[in-house]
Amino acid sequence: MSGEEEENAAELKIGEEFLKAKCLMNCEVAIILDHKFEQIQQHASSESDPSSQVSQVFEKSMQYVKRFSRYKNPDAVRQVRETLSRYGLAEFELCTLGNLCPDTSGEAAALVPSLKSAGRFVGDAGNDRIDKMLNDLSLIKKFE
Amino acid sequence: MDSLSQPPSKRPLSSSATDFREVSLASPPAADDEGERSKMFFHIVLERNMQLHPRHFGPHLRDKLVSKLIKDVEGTCSGRHGFVVAITGVEDVGKGLIREGTGYVTFPVKYQCVVFRPFKGEILEAVVTMVNKMGFFAEAGPVQIFVSNHLIPDDMEFQSGDVPNYTTSDGSVKIQKESEVRLKIIGTRVDATEIFCIGTIKDDFLGVISDPGAAV
Repeated sequence: MSGEEEENAAELKIGEEFLKAKCLMNCEVAIILDHKFEQIQQHASSESDPSSQVSQVFEKSMQYVKRFSRYKNPDAVRQVRETLSRYGLAEFELCTLGNLCPDTSGEAAALVPSLKSAGRFVGDAGNDRIDKMLNDLSLIKKFE
Repeated sequence: MDSLSQPPSKRPLSSSATDFREVSLASPPAADDEGERSKMFFHIVLERNMQLHPRHFGPHLRDKLVSKLIKDVEGTCSGRHGFVVAITGVEDVGKGLIREGTGYVTFPVKYQCVVFRPFKGEILEAVVTMVNKMGFFAEAGPVQIFVSNHLIPDDMEFQSGDVPNYTTSDGSVKIQKESEVRLKIIGTRVDATEIFCIGTIKDDFLGVISDPGAAV
């Protein structure tokens, strides 16, 4: 058990692969998987190949991201990423905010504590900026 | 409103980055807590050595290799990378190496895929699948998360019966099967083929986001 724990802790330092990796929001994953699913369906109908069924992991992930996607429309999804990236967020912060859509700066800071720790959103001015950012997000949602 | 009409801003590229995948975490955040820097879904480049039988050698070698890769890799789970949900592209197929004695050829294949990897400290939403007096199980995609009753707020009591659930004393909040909850992962157990998580809802801004009785 302890061996597993150590290995786990080591992995949280993020392997080389994850440094190069791009973080995805749920809604982005939904678009990718949807596209892929269509391709598989087409392939299956044209060749009637029983082996081209989707895996259970694929199916479960698809259900999950569909259920928890805040934005359905691909344009809105792109806007969310563009808007958030203007605020100099790290990838993972961007994705967490995009997924969870907090309502207030307090909630955002509780969900993504690193917003405060990195010194980009300090004090009242920082809170105002977070609020502005969240407001931008809700506007995208409203006009989707 | 102005945010919508502005032209798309460029993402902050680091000067050396030529590939968009390298941009993502090019400037790692100064997060002191390692657990806070990660998120469930990643788009990642992986490499794998594929063995191919000589009968597939021919004009469709690459196609064969790709379909075999998809069959082998999609839906699997490794402790290191998490669940491989879908392969989105093959970047590069290297030079094959003949294995002596068998005639099989090994190709190093670089491919892009979407992986699903939970990390400690991460906050995510999940669907409750089972409730019992020990706590409840929730599911986020392919990952199972257990929330023990010690990590459920103290004012929520277990109610047995037809639909076992956790309810606050005033009955305003209820966790039962199919409820959507927001939880924080506090531990992961990663072995070769499975990932299992322990979560908590005993923190600010965590808990039920919708319960099926009220929503439908």
